Amino acid sequence: MLRKKECIAMLLAGGQGSRLGILTANMAKPAIPYGGKYRIIDFPLSNCANSGIDVVGVLTQYQPLELNAYIGSGSPWDLDLAHGGVYVLPPYVKGKQGEWYSGTANAIYQNIAFIEQFNPEYVAILSGDHIYKMDYNAMLRYHIDIGADVTIAVREVPWEETSRFGIMNTDENNAIIEFEEKPAKAKSNKASMGVYMFTWDKLRKYLQEDAETHGSSNDFGKNIIPNMLADKQKLYAFDFEGYWKDVGTIESLWEANMDLLHMPMPIDLYDKKWRIYGRNPGVAPHYIAAGAVAKSCLITEGCEVYGRVEHSVLFAGVQVLEGASVIDSVVMPRALIERGATVVRAIIAEDAVIGTGAKVGEATGSIAVVGQGVRVMAGDVVKAGEQRAQ
Amino acid sequence: MAMKNVLGMIYTGEKDSFLRELTLLRAIAAMPVAGRYRVIDFLVSSMVNSGIKNVGVIMQKNYHSLMDHLGSGKEWDLHGKNDGLYILPPFLTRENVGVYSGSLDAIHSNFGYLRRSRQEYVLLCNSLIVFNADFNDMYDVYRRSGADVTIMYTKNPGMRRPEYGIYFDVNAEGLITDVEIDPTRPRYENTCMEVFLLRKDLLIDLVDRGSAHGYHDLTRDVFQRMIRDAGMHMAGYEYKDVCYRMDSVQSYFKFNMDVINPVIRHALFREDQPVYTKVRDEMSAHHLENARVSESIVADGCIIDGEVDHCVLFRGVNIARGARVKNCIIMQDSRIEEDVVLENCILDKQAIIKKGGKLIGPQSYPIVISKNMTI
Repeated sequence: MLRKKECIAMLLAGGQGSRLGILTANMAKPAIPYGGKYRIIDFPLSNCANSGIDVVGVLTQYQPLELNAYIGSGSPWDLDLAHGGVYVLPPYVKGKQGEWYSGTANAIYQNIAFIEQFNPEYVAILSGDHIYKMDYNAMLRYHIDIGADVTIAVREVPWEETSRFGIMNTDENNAIIEFEEKPAKAKSNKASMGVYMFTWDKLRKYLQEDAETHGSSNDFGKNIIPNMLADKQKLYAFDFEGYWKDVGTIESLWEANMDLLHMPMPIDLYDKKWRIYGRNPGVAPHYIAAGAVAKSCLITEGCEVYGRVEHSVLFAGVQVLEGASVIDSVVMPRALIERGATVVRAIIAEDAVIGTGAKVGEATGSIAVVGQGVRVMAGDVVKAGEQRAQ
Repeated sequence: MAMKNVLGMIYTGEKDSFLRELTLLRAIAAMPVAGRYRVIDFLVSSMVNSGIKNVGVIMQKNYHSLMDHLGSGKEWDLHGKNDGLYILPPFLTRENVGVYSGSLDAIHSNFGYLRRSRQEYVLLCNSLIVFNADFNDMYDVYRRSGADVTIMYTKNPGMRRPEYGIYFDVNAEGLITDVEIDPTRPRYENTCMEVFLLRKDLLIDLVDRGSAHGYHDLTRDVFQRMIRDAGMHMAGYEYKDVCYRMDSVQSYFKFNMDVINPVIRHALFREDQPVYTKVRDEMSAHHLENARVSESIVADGCIIDGEVDHCVLFRGVNIARGARVKNCIIMQDSRIEEDVVLENCILDKQAIIKKGGKLIGPQSYPIVISKNMTI
């Protein structure tokens, strides 16, 4: 038995993110680059590190290679520890029963032995799909003080969007009395953030019962939480007021990047007390040539700008050559925008090349996407809303 | 893999008075350069990229910031169980008074580390050279030549200094036939880069004998005599790529300004030989609505709303709206407030130039603003 941990985190990173189209063709959604320097998974991992949670199990299933390589030993998040650290947990064969994770709850169920190694009192269940800064330790203290069996982080969303979320109806003490998945007519606008703090004994019991229930979807939202509600367990909502963005679609990923161009930023990533850590590319500072234009934009180390960049986010190692312009766009690591090319309202994935004079995206309409490593030939046109794969 | 048998040793105790306020609180090796690096990053990264697994850094004075920067050596993958990064601060014993008068004293004090390490060869460097070298070629040349010591040199005129430095004559076989130290006017075009490759047991023997004769500096006292008196074979190895020496405010300023030039930057920061440094997890740099940046390099974490021309901005620098900075080096977390005008200045870390301030230095003698100053 290892030394006891009060609380460990399990991070669900197996999501396919199919609404992200070709961006998730080769990588899981949590590995998607965001905000110039990060990948989505940096947010929950950094939140863990900053909250003092030093055991994080990352459950992977879909296209895990990129994510595995990225997480590595966990050193960027100070999670390379002798006792604890970050563990990548893919599904594996157990005797004759090896199987894929059939749902979010099943992924945790299959890793009960992993969790028990640390003998925790509490387990945080996190998702790898959101951009937010949250103190899980504050949530844990709330969970303990109020005597909950499970605490669910909630955030108020605009009433007209309630039909897209799992909505929590609470009483005056913030106890959850009803849970509605994507209600047509919501009674509350408190949406679940997919962040749960469980008392481990309770969670283990419900996971085991769920695993024995024939026909269950093995899902937290559909099964575990409703079952606990039905049994009159103590479910509480934990109100969160900061920035929280699901980047599940091309448009929302683009918007979440554009959000960073507002000053002050809606999510303060300069905050030295709550840094977001990530794997650093280790390249020289970025270069803006004489005659280049760079305004209202984020530019990362390793970039070289000879052309025009406006209202855009450039990741590490992007090159924008003479006469090229990048406007209202997100350009991911090492992409090359050749001479005279224009990129407008677009997402250019890693290592893509936009050939001389090519045009990607339009000033109105949906976001254009150029996939990872794709080369758009000189003079070619990628229309608004188009997704260009190889 | 060949260089696994070579120990890297860096002596950081050089004279630093020509760097004025910049080295008041730090060794030259710890000088911030090129927007996000320290001088020593280039040397340690070159060693690691060449396959050296064991690097000892001899500290002398003001070594706190250097130790803080190098840490466990993790950023250079030098935190293994065997070998790795060894910080060798001065220490007091009956024989060792803790203050080194030169590199020879320093090596003598660290015989224990030298003897304990498993490597048979030593690559010995001082710390004020900036380059991105692959030492494998030098190692091959050294092994084939059969010379006792191989010393790196350059014909780069930018490395010559009046009345200072070591200059060689090298014959057709590559052997060094004469050494001049601090001539008023160097007669030879080959400038010593103070990078030496030799057998470890020979180094220990030379240092021991030199020490017994009351010498203090390995290059100046020992190697020159070895050629002249002992008939030792010293071979030269010419380094042909970009290199700089950080030995004055002017050379420091020139190096940083040169790095803005893409040709020089690409020669120093090669994809196949990355330069590693301590990471700070900064957000990308933000160019705001009024930013007008031209011919400059900018590190992460900067927020710019003013005019920046031909500058090096380190991590976390703030340039407010209406400010104009030209030909400046602005170190980490410095803040330039509204309507400030700066030209030919070096601002050390966390300096603040208050609203409306104006500082214009001559290009040949840049103004140096010390760390934490508010003006």
